[in-house]
Amino acid sequence: MTSISMGTSRTTAERLATIRGGAKPKRHNARTIAALTRNPGCARRAVLDTAGVDKQRLAAYIDFPARFGQSGFAIARGNAFEAQVKASGAAELVKLLRERLGLPIPEVAYDDLETVTGREKETAEVRYARSRALLLRAAAGEDGAGTLFDHPLLGLDVAGQRVYLEPDLIAFQHEGRFHVVEIKSFAVVDGQADPGKVSAAAIQSAVYVLAMRQMLAEAGHDPEIVAHDVVLVCPRDFSNQPTAVLVDVRKQLAVLRRQLGRMTKVEEMLAVLPPNLCFDLAPDADGVPTRAPEALVDALQTVDARYAPDCLSVCELAYFCRAEARGCTAALGTSAREELGGIERVETALGLAKGELTPADDQAEAATLLRNAARLRAEVLVAAAGAAG
Amino acid sequence: MEALERRIDALRAEIRRSVVARDTARTKGLRAELRIAEQEWEQAISDLAEEAGDPPPAAAGRSSAGSLLPVREQVHHALTLLSVPAAPKLVAEVHAAFFGAAAAGGLAAGKLTHLRRDEKRSFGTAPYARPYYLCAALTAEHLAPARGLVAVSTWPLERRIVGPLSPRVDFLTAAVRVAERAGTVPAGSSTLARLVWRFASNIPGALDIAGRPDTVDPVTVIRAAEAERVVHADADRAHRAAAAERARRQLDQVDQLFGNTLRTLPGKVTRRGGAVSRGNPTVQEKTA
Amino acid sequence: MSTLTALARAEAVAVGQAQRITTVRHLHVADRPLVFIPLSMAGEANAPLAALVGTVPDDPRLLVVPQPRNRDQRFGFAAELAEVLLPYLDSFRGVTEAVAANRGKEVRYRYVDAPQVLVPNSAGIGFVRMFGRSTRFRRTDGDYPVQPSVPLLGQWLTFLADRAEHPGSGMLLAMTEALGLHWATGQSALEDAHLAALLAWIDPADGLSGADAAVVAEDPLRWPPAGPATDPTFDNEMLAPAMAAYQEAVGSGDEVRRSRARGVLEEAVRSQLGPTWELMWRGVSLLRELPVGSRVPGRWAEDRDVFSTFTLYVDGGGYPQPRRDGAVNAAQRLHRLERALQSYAVQRAYDDPLVMADHRLTGEAFVGEVTLADAHRIDDSGKRRVLRPRIQVTTGDVVLVTAGAVLHSPSRPGQKARVVFVTPDPASGRTDVVLELSGGLGRSLSPAPGSVPEVGDRLCYTTLSDSFMPPGEFPSREETPWTHGGPPKAYEEPVEPSVDDAREEWS
Repeated sequence: MTSISMGTSRTTAERLATIRGGAKPKRHNARTIAALTRNPGCARRAVLDTAGVDKQRLAAYIDFPARFGQSGFAIARGNAFEAQVKASGAAELVKLLRERLGLPIPEVAYDDLETVTGREKETAEVRYARSRALLLRAAAGEDGAGTLFDHPLLGLDVAGQRVYLEPDLIAFQHEGRFHVVEIKSFAVVDGQADPGKVSAAAIQSAVYVLAMRQMLAEAGHDPEIVAHDVVLVCPRDFSNQPTAVLVDVRKQLAVLRRQLGRMTKVEEMLAVLPPNLCFDLAPDADGVPTRAPEALVDALQTVDARYAPDCLSVCELAYFCRAEARGCTAALGTSAREELGGIERVETALGLAKGELTPADDQAEAATLLRNAARLRAEVLVAAAGAAG
Repeated sequence: MEALERRIDALRAEIRRSVVARDTARTKGLRAELRIAEQEWEQAISDLAEEAGDPPPAAAGRSSAGSLLPVREQVHHALTLLSVPAAPKLVAEVHAAFFGAAAAGGLAAGKLTHLRRDEKRSFGTAPYARPYYLCAALTAEHLAPARGLVAVSTWPLERRIVGPLSPRVDFLTAAVRVAERAGTVPAGSSTLARLVWRFASNIPGALDIAGRPDTVDPVTVIRAAEAERVVHADADRAHRAAAAERARRQLDQVDQLFGNTLRTLPGKVTRRGGAVSRGNPTVQEKTA
Repeated sequence: MSTLTALARAEAVAVGQAQRITTVRHLHVADRPLVFIPLSMAGEANAPLAALVGTVPDDPRLLVVPQPRNRDQRFGFAAELAEVLLPYLDSFRGVTEAVAANRGKEVRYRYVDAPQVLVPNSAGIGFVRMFGRSTRFRRTDGDYPVQPSVPLLGQWLTFLADRAEHPGSGMLLAMTEALGLHWATGQSALEDAHLAALLAWIDPADGLSGADAAVVAEDPLRWPPAGPATDPTFDNEMLAPAMAAYQEAVGSGDEVRRSRARGVLEEAVRSQLGPTWELMWRGVSLLRELPVGSRVPGRWAEDRDVFSTFTLYVDGGGYPQPRRDGAVNAAQRLHRLERALQSYAVQRAYDDPLVMADHRLTGEAFVGEVTLADAHRIDDSGKRRVLRPRIQVTTGDVVLVTAGAVLHSPSRPGQKARVVFVTPDPASGRTDVVLELSGGLGRSLSPAPGSVPEVGDRLCYTTLSDSFMPPGEFPSREETPWTHGGPPKAYEEPVEPSVDDAREEWS
């Protein structure tokens, strides 16, 4: 999956380039955008992602390496399954669409949008233009305007910035309605799949639905002609045979729209940050970044983070933020934090529980509960220790 | 020896760390060191084996590599049978089903990419010196090489052009050809039966109720594939003919076989510098 | 998470070590558990890659699949696993005990012990379920014959995975969950799913705080993931080359080379499994050190019952469990699970004052001292004079029960206590609760000795009741209403696997 970032105003773009330190921006894809919605209140993450900083590299350099990475086996399997479903004009997919969505026999046209001219390196502009042209022609309902569009390049506005996305998918058009087809290699066994993987696929597909709707709307078409039902194609049981299920992504669309809309505009975030803020990882002759890790840590600390344990599975910087959040109740998880009355620091919660601290007005209720809890815990543990001794 | 093994382990661990850190330069260096260490280890172990009087464990296993020539023939056979441009994977499967599974390993998809480049070079040096070349299928739209397809140079251009309907038509044609051949093979192998079944399962009406590989009837498959092909055939033929005509007019010999990749065709929009603004594309796509 | 558990987590942060959240162990730990650590191949649907399995800490058996995509090798792995698991299960089929059934009218027999399988985490239970699904329909004849032990293994794995969903059952446990039930760490529940990190908090290495020890434990190079998923860099840098080398060695036809390559591959996967093996047994010893709760043997007896019943089913040639439950079966199962969940929660509270403290905090239970007692009180308001002693309990706990509520005391099962008055005293912060007792008092109009609490006794009263919950009523399977899909379809009933089931394609 590839994409490029462009757009935004000149000064903002310059600002972001400074933050990035001249390196090429990391590319967004549906997964990173879907992940963005997981913690939209985190300014640190929003600034770094918008600027396209290589967070994985940064995290490793300041000695908090992320544990992300994909097994070559998983990648190979995913690619093989996708290729199989798309082989021979997506013959297997056509069969599934005929069975599941009543696609009529004549509707088999297949347009490969991955390459335009067969050249090795094509600019995203060329590919976007062709995707757009073909999809709009289909939206206009022209005769013979195509049915299956493999690898279209789409665009989406994220945090005030235009991002291009390349779904590994086929957009499929039938009777003036588009469906997004997402091919995933996790198995559907007896009609059930790993819920985590299904929901990840659903939110990614929702990103594509949103991007397609945006493209159509910009061209004056009704965006709703892109269906909120996406076609999820997965291997069935333990075989290689594909099966298709319709996944309603309305909820994911609502979440995405809300979170993307709520994400503070990047200009506003930049306004409160030091003008020389920079996460340059440019290497010297030996391949070691020229800036000291401490300088980068200092820079990171100027941007507020909102750490939650969930971050560990979505954000490359999470291990750094976790270390920073040591002693915060948030690091124990949302539910623990709530049970501790929303008190921010662990030592405060414990101080209130032991009656060593006087609660502020808004802590009174929490303090009573905590004191009771501490009393009960101490009472039982003392009794238990007495019984054991 | 043990020191070497410890070193290999340590290097592997370092590589895993540097991969996670996305430190490409360091990873590259470490990998090179690892390769050397592994070679030393290999050498040490075969020295040990020789001391123990075992036969040297090298030499074997290299025979499958061979020259490209037989592979070329294999691909040509399979493509001729299919009669349409096909993806390397299908070519390999057809070859395995009809000409024996032994050769399947020799037809790796990666090898075919090399093969096509090799063929182009050969044609460039001495055009038509060989009776046939393994060449590209061309996209109807840009007459560019179609992604992931191999074709035979002796086929008419019309057959090597792919428009939007062509993948389906070619799939059905291939199904017919494979089923026809399967009907003439006396005791069909299970690989062949599975190949026919795989085609059949994606064509309406081509499978019986049991729907199993061992019950597939080639005649039914042919009838069903023909029935669907008729639906798409005319539109596809017209599209291909027009594009082929254009190719004959606009492309030189090499490009007619291997596709136009180097320059923009006259009558087409220039793409270089065609920046895309937010709302209106400045690039207009005209499709033939 | 309860406030008490959250507080324990906060304490763990401050102390630098995990804190106990129970005073007793709420799980049965077998004398001879079978530890099973499966690894699967990334990207494939539950393709086994390797496993370490065994009942003795210093004698793990390593199973390896050199090419996990190869169907025959997968079933070879299943057969090897069956060689370990089936004899282990059989070893519990010796001595039986008689149990009264159907209100004492009948007698049935159950084994005096049962198997217990321990996996590292809940994903390990998922592996057991999926591997059971992929093996139980296989046939020993036809296109892809497997060894007879393979479908049998599948039935047993499915059985174990089903038991793992049953609250309070101890037949298949995830170590992370077993430990997490008894300790609160200073990290989040999400991080507790990492076995090495969890144990680092419970039992940190010398001189390290739990937090620092957990950070060390998270390094996949030092502590490989406990599976079934492997570390991606292990896959890419170690496993892939070792597999490729093995393939090549097999192709070469050179036996020396092949066995050497297999050795390298085995070492690679062993390096990923060995550390977890140690952790599993450390977990077992930690659990064993806890005193066992008084209701644990009762729940284990239920496990033994179910085990005994299922052995009879399998011996009788019972068909593999269906792919999916029919509507009635599914509803029954859900009802069973709900009852088990409720009873498990109550039993834990009854067994453990620290668990009961959660209920005291929320006002569902209180502990207090008996300040008044009228053991001989007779209620003569009805037709018949009855003994209805009253006691007053004074407590500092929050009391949310109201007059009329019926309470129970864990130390006095079989006796009910109806709330008569609740009188809070704002000045002292204490509450007087007057209770009227019935049941468990003996037959005469004067109470049996010791049946009424005396002044000065300390007691717990709670709304939680451990009494028998009647099973729900469901239509017969044939009478499943059409609204619920009608009578079960073939795949919803246990049936003999068809040729097609066995043929099921494998990637």
